[in-house]
Amino acid sequence: MTTYAQREATEGFESSTVAPTSKGRHFVRFITSTDHKTIGYLYLMTTFAWFLIGGVLALVLRAELTRPGMQFISNEQYNQVFTMHGTIMLLMFATPLFVGFANVIMPLQIGAADVAFPRLNMLSYWIYLFGGIMAFAGFLSPGGAASFGWTAYAPLSNSQYSPGIGGDLWIVGLAIGGIGTILGGVNFITTIFTMRAPGMTMFRMSIFSWNVLLTSILVLLAFPPLAAALLALESDRLFGSHIFDPANGGAMLWQHLFWFFGHPEVYILALPFFGIATEILPVFSRKPIFGYKGLIAATIAISALSVSVWAHHMFASGQVLLPFFSFMTFLIGIPTGVKFFNWIGTMWRGHVTFETPMLWVMGFLITFLFGGLTGIILASPPLDFAVSASYFVVAHFHYVLFGTVVFAMFAGFYFWWPKMTGRMLNERLGKIHFWTLFFGFHTTFLIQHWLGIKGFPRRYADYLATDGFTTMNMISTVGSILLALSMIPFAINVWITRKSPLVNCDDPWGYGASLEWATSCPPPRHNFLTMPRIRSERPAFDLHHPHIKTEGH
Amino acid sequence: MNLNTTRRGLVILVPAIFALTGCARDADSGFSGDASSVNEITHSLWTYSWLAAAVVGVFTAILIVWPAIFHRAPKNGPEFPKQTQYNVPVEIAYTLIPFIIVAVMFYYTAVKENQIVKPQGNVKHEIVVTGFQWSWQFTYLDAGKDVTLTGTPAKPPVLVVPQGERVRYTINSNDVVHGFWIPEFMIQMQNLPGVTNTLEITANNLGDFPGVCNIFCGRNHAQMRFTVRVVTPAEYQKYISNLKLEIEKAS
Repeated sequence: MTTYAQREATEGFESSTVAPTSKGRHFVRFITSTDHKTIGYLYLMTTFAWFLIGGVLALVLRAELTRPGMQFISNEQYNQVFTMHGTIMLLMFATPLFVGFANVIMPLQIGAADVAFPRLNMLSYWIYLFGGIMAFAGFLSPGGAASFGWTAYAPLSNSQYSPGIGGDLWIVGLAIGGIGTILGGVNFITTIFTMRAPGMTMFRMSIFSWNVLLTSILVLLAFPPLAAALLALESDRLFGSHIFDPANGGAMLWQHLFWFFGHPEVYILALPFFGIATEILPVFSRKPIFGYKGLIAATIAISALSVSVWAHHMFASGQVLLPFFSFMTFLIGIPTGVKFFNWIGTMWRGHVTFETPMLWVMGFLITFLFGGLTGIILASPPLDFAVSASYFVVAHFHYVLFGTVVFAMFAGFYFWWPKMTGRMLNERLGKIHFWTLFFGFHTTFLIQHWLGIKGFPRRYADYLATDGFTTMNMISTVGSILLALSMIPFAINVWITRKSPLVNCDDPWGYGASLEWATSCPPPRHNFLTMPRIRSERPAFDLHHPHIKTEGH
Repeated sequence: MNLNTTRRGLVILVPAIFALTGCARDADSGFSGDASSVNEITHSLWTYSWLAAAVVGVFTAILIVWPAIFHRAPKNGPEFPKQTQYNVPVEIAYTLIPFIIVAVMFYYTAVKENQIVKPQGNVKHEIVVTGFQWSWQFTYLDAGKDVTLTGTPAKPPVLVVPQGERVRYTINSNDVVHGFWIPEFMIQMQNLPGVTNTLEITANNLGDFPGVCNIFCGRNHAQMRFTVRVVTPAEYQKYISNLKLEIEKAS
């Protein structure tokens, strides 16, 4: 706070924000703010809370699966827990986490004073929070929370097979939360198209902001069909309509609608976090991003292809055109590969250093590489017939999603912590945090590939001692405990650095490229007191290192 | 110096890739190569896809780790490296080469998926597989519409099939979506209410193999299991006539 207050005073600006005098006022100012950064912090804190809740649910699942037989919970409770684990992690943690990072960082990167619709932004947050709590509140209802899986396949999700208010709360909660996400997408697209600073052309915009734009477009394509499908499902449950009646082909209709949302959703979760990795690699390689324009083209290609591959989730339904969806899915591997080579090319012959954010990005690269390769395996219908809907798929999507979202989230936290708070996180604790999480994650999920190949179906509350799954499940559970423990060094880190010295500079990392590193830490209310010249995609780097020339080819 | 670095890189890289992918080839592929007609089609695709994935994965992993080790910031050198931003030949290469790899994989995928799903005409037996919450019903159409075996979650049913004879499975559901999966045979198909799927499989090896429902179907999903028992054709005929007798006796 004092950083910018002092600067404003010395530079002759009159501050319009009055620093809060008590904790209560600070809190009220926080929850009533329309500042994109404050709303971003609200999103980041809320999503992290959901991440911890979803993580505890995952530990319950792992505990139950450690040994054959039901030890802790019943079948029905197990089904509720895995349904809510998936729902929370995808729709209350990962998707709004994108909105959080985009809110905090994107306006800074394009040199805007705020997002285009600040009050709509605030409304989006409260809608999201309300929808999320509503879906989760099913646990308080007499029948418990929704228990039809986060995919809610019809007709299992109708009122005949899944009666109970928990299912209704889930459906309406997600529809409401989805509206918050859609409004967020509208806000980001408008902001990027209309509020870029002078000189900030589209092809000087940093990759993270590009990815926010493309992700927002995917949000507009994917979330309205989901909201429509959910409301139609609720109409079946509540008013007795027959939209998803199997007699009218409702079973396949739901799968199509759900995955038409579900697959772009995977890229809604991935692209912003690819963006975070792409911001960090050049800074700690002291080089510009390699193949900037090719990277943008690859991201556009991924976004376009991602809306044409939904039926690869339905290969085993026997009702989809296998070659088309298989080919499109294979094609997505190409721009994804291009991204990998952009990231490698950025480090190549750079001056690489391993501050904590860079370490997290390395963890992301290795983890996502393996998740991508098993994705290519699953793109082939014959191989899909062998292992689909098994723990192989569970392992695959945790490598892809955890590898991307969680590794890049922590990379982003460590990287932008000084920008958000004015203070650095502790490097040593950050490294302990990383290695604990890295080994915990891989111990939990690598073994699950073999579990799937050996025939363990996903979403099974139990297995038999004769199945031969016990040892592998035990290893996985031990890994999940390590994974959970890795949150402790992070918590300690946040706590002990809360009063560490302010960085008092624009760019504590020294080689920041994008525009957020050309304003104070934390930035003033409207982000910039002076705007540097924007003549390349590295305006902050040009400002701080004017003598370094980029070599085009 | 650049050439030296490249040469030194190749000397380490090439054997490393061969060593690591060699391991992948020798390792247990996880599946039988001949348990069923599907394994005969899919197993080679499984093996070679993993081989391709291993080559690409090891190559890329080395490229990731390489600059992390060898291109660290020098302690006493200049602060900045050369600010290279584009290298068009390299960019074209890393776009085209993956395209060739996936084109080859797609060719074999398309050929093999066609072999799996296309009806062959030499079907000897027909079995209807009906999923319901939470067990299975197997109807042996050879012996009539009533020759049916129904399981329960507590007592999962046994699907008896003849060795070496092609069976057409008609797969459907009485209530919600289920998944008919025989892991050993590398095959699965959804049981959809209101839709009929068919699948042709020949089982090659005698023995008992686990089968499961793998599309989540409600409370006792994890108890919706069955056993595939592959017997000789003579034993199969005997089983069918016994089952028929039992059913007639019961009615």
